[in-house]
Amino acid sequence: MMETQKAPAVLIDQASKWYGQVIGINDVSLAIDGGVTGILGPNGAGKSTLFKLLMGRLKPSQGSVRLFGIDPWTSTSPYRRVGYVSESEKLYEWMTGLDFVTTLARLHGMTREEASNRSSHVLDFVGLSDVMHKELGKYSKGMRQRVKIAHALVHDPELIILDEPLQGCDPIARTSIMSVIRELGNQGKTVLVSSHILEEIERITEQIVILHNGRLLAIGNLHAIRDLLDKHPHRILINCEDPRSLANLFIREEPVFGVRFPRDGLLEIQTNNLSEAHSLLPSIVVESQQAIFSIENPDDNLESLLGYLIGGAQ
Amino acid sequence: MDEKGLDLAETVWTRLDRKAGAIVELTVRQLRHRISTWVVLGVGTLLMVLLLAFYIDAVRDSFEPIDNDGDSVDEDSDGYPRGQEMKYGTSDFDSSDFPGVSEYVPESMIGFNEQQRELYGNKTWNGEALFEATWIDTELEGEWWEDRIIDWEEIDDCPDQDSAGSWFPQWGSACEYGDPDGDGLTSYYVRGEWRGEGLATVPEGSFLEWGHYTEPVYIEPDPSEMYIDEDGIDCFDSAGKRVDCPVSDRLGGSHGYDDDGDCYREGWAEGSNDDWFLEYDGDGERYDPDSNRNGIRCDVLWIVDADGNEVVSINADSFVDEDPDDEQYVGELSHRTFIIGVGKMAFVILLGLFIPLFLALGLVRDETENGTLHFLLSKPIHRGEFILYRLLGYLTVSGTYVLTLSLLVGIVTATLGPGDQLFRLTDLPVWLGIGISTIFVLAAYGALFNTMGLISPKYGVYICIIFGVWEFMMGTFSIINPNWAVSSISITHWALQMIDATVLMAWPDTLQWAEMGEAYGIDTGLNFFWHPPVHTFGTQSGAVALLVSSVTLLTVTALMIYIGQSVFSRREIS
Repeated sequence: MMETQKAPAVLIDQASKWYGQVIGINDVSLAIDGGVTGILGPNGAGKSTLFKLLMGRLKPSQGSVRLFGIDPWTSTSPYRRVGYVSESEKLYEWMTGLDFVTTLARLHGMTREEASNRSSHVLDFVGLSDVMHKELGKYSKGMRQRVKIAHALVHDPELIILDEPLQGCDPIARTSIMSVIRELGNQGKTVLVSSHILEEIERITEQIVILHNGRLLAIGNLHAIRDLLDKHPHRILINCEDPRSLANLFIREEPVFGVRFPRDGLLEIQTNNLSEAHSLLPSIVVESQQAIFSIENPDDNLESLLGYLIGGAQ
Repeated sequence: MDEKGLDLAETVWTRLDRKAGAIVELTVRQLRHRISTWVVLGVGTLLMVLLLAFYIDAVRDSFEPIDNDGDSVDEDSDGYPRGQEMKYGTSDFDSSDFPGVSEYVPESMIGFNEQQRELYGNKTWNGEALFEATWIDTELEGEWWEDRIIDWEEIDDCPDQDSAGSWFPQWGSACEYGDPDGDGLTSYYVRGEWRGEGLATVPEGSFLEWGHYTEPVYIEPDPSEMYIDEDGIDCFDSAGKRVDCPVSDRLGGSHGYDDDGDCYREGWAEGSNDDWFLEYDGDGERYDPDSNRNGIRCDVLWIVDADGNEVVSINADSFVDEDPDDEQYVGELSHRTFIIGVGKMAFVILLGLFIPLFLALGLVRDETENGTLHFLLSKPIHRGEFILYRLLGYLTVSGTYVLTLSLLVGIVTATLGPGDQLFRLTDLPVWLGIGISTIFVLAAYGALFNTMGLISPKYGVYICIIFGVWEFMMGTFSIINPNWAVSSISITHWALQMIDATVLMAWPDTLQWAEMGEAYGIDTGLNFFWHPPVHTFGTQSGAVALLVSSVTLLTVTALMIYIGQSVFSRREIS
């Protein structure tokens, strides 16, 4: 018992999982305990496979997976301390949010009253207290994600695993879910959250794990990785009234080494220090005295990061 | 320590209980939100309503009672049923012969005398004589076959007036002999029966009997119903008093009483009457009040088998219609046949197969396909537990439905059913047994179908349908002949056995009723739908059969849950 108490929340040791010829996870070793960890990877990188191994849905083909020191494939006992939000979109549409969470809470052995009280509490925590008596079928995408999170939190777990919790959410829901996740991290819980969008994870945590094609590509602090990336050539796309006059102002600055005009009204700035370029942006825009319609960072995404990391590895 | 141990046990149990409660409740609510649930249960209810309509129709239709000994007919259409004619010794094949009809009373006779003798009188004559008539009743006539009666309209002259006695007219005819003594009165030579006043001269060696017909008396004809269902089954109590036989005493030995009297025929004591024709009944059969030859007049002999609980044959003396009241009898038999038939065909075979096919097949499989299983399986609950609680939820819905339906149908039939009592309370245990047997079937099929759905999510339904056909066949065979060993390789067989056992326990006299149905040739189908339970280990006890059958079904259910959970626990869910 003492040993399992000390065991890390998640311990993956050289685990591989393949489905026939297709590899889901390839020789991944990982130990996570405490704090919010972002699991980053493009679709098909093995994030869900990793979570399903953790949740005992799948049996590792090789290696071992332990939750609090216990094999989740053979025992359900770690689930007392784990909350899991799957990527599955289906809910019991005819149930109210409170009903749904209460029913699942009772599977933890709570009494009806206890479950109901805890459920209202977590629904309030995720910001659904005003709709918890409505049927799930009437919930928006963001509400559905939040009710799924509520069910995972109802038993006050030590480890929370969220599979793509921000997928398909509108910006308001996204912000509210992110703050919930950050709050959980502040409470000292171990949180695993997966996403294929770098920006989302960046707003939640600095501690990341990057998966690619089933392999563990990088693990560590996002800022450190980010700094490496910033030194890499980047593009900034600016949609404005007069791209050429704006280009004139930019080309004089040091981090900018080139400009292009891919389309009418569009300016592409090439830089090798993204953060410095961004810090220059406001003053130049003011100086140019023209309307800016949008600013995009097409290279500031997971794909570029991966491209950079893979390139570096090669 | 102890206290702590107890606490721990309590915690584990109450937690299990709470989990079970949550999943059962979830399952019930899920089933309630599915259209197919309502369709299946609705169709089942409709089926029962239809069957009840048939039942109510049959109950209201009065039953035509059966005349077991055939003495209610009136063959000669004289208005008197055969039973009544037999009591009066008249013939049911002669319309001129009926109770109260003027009857011939013989007075005396001249029998084959050595010399010619004479007698004067106004008589009915029967024999051979030269008759010098003062008056002749030319009206006297009988049926066409009674050719001894002289037809006075067809009289020829005798061939030779001088040679009287040397020739004879045919029996049943006469010839005119003229007036040999010249006193103005015509003489006839007659052979046969006639009525008239005059001087009869009986020739040497001839025979003449005479007498008179009584005045006809009007006797009220009995209604023919009197000779149908004369009585229930009579017994005699220890004091020799006639009582309605209690069902439990209807076994073995001599019972019965000839209530309508056409066997006893009061005043016809056998052998005391030397009138030769009275020893025969109206049909020309020798009167025999002990045709079953057990030395007791006008009784019914019941023969039972060696262990004394099964009637082998029922043998009544002639014209003892000693069966139970047919209307009551057929009513009771039909009522029981309906209940057993509906219990077996509609409840166990139809509802028992179709409800699980629609409700249980996808209990776990559908959760997997919907993706909602992830929520349930991320909770600390073993997959085997999950299957068990799902099945419990399904059984809560289907079991409540079946039990309610069986008791509702039971209340209707118990209210409308035959018998003097207002409400047939003894029917309810049978309906309860039917409900419970069906629940056992629902559990076994539910576990089996759910397991099939888990083993092969894609083809499970086809396997189940093939299996259902097999079960249907075996169920039918089990109804026809439960002793056929092959049919016991089916779930239905054991459930049907549970019903047979319940029936035997709730209505122990069903065996008796079935045998009587056979003995009296009244076919209500009870012998088709019900047989004594088979698996009694030779005890012939309903309780043993019930225990054996229910344990078998529970074992099958447990085995199927075990297989299902073994498959499901090893399954990867992506």
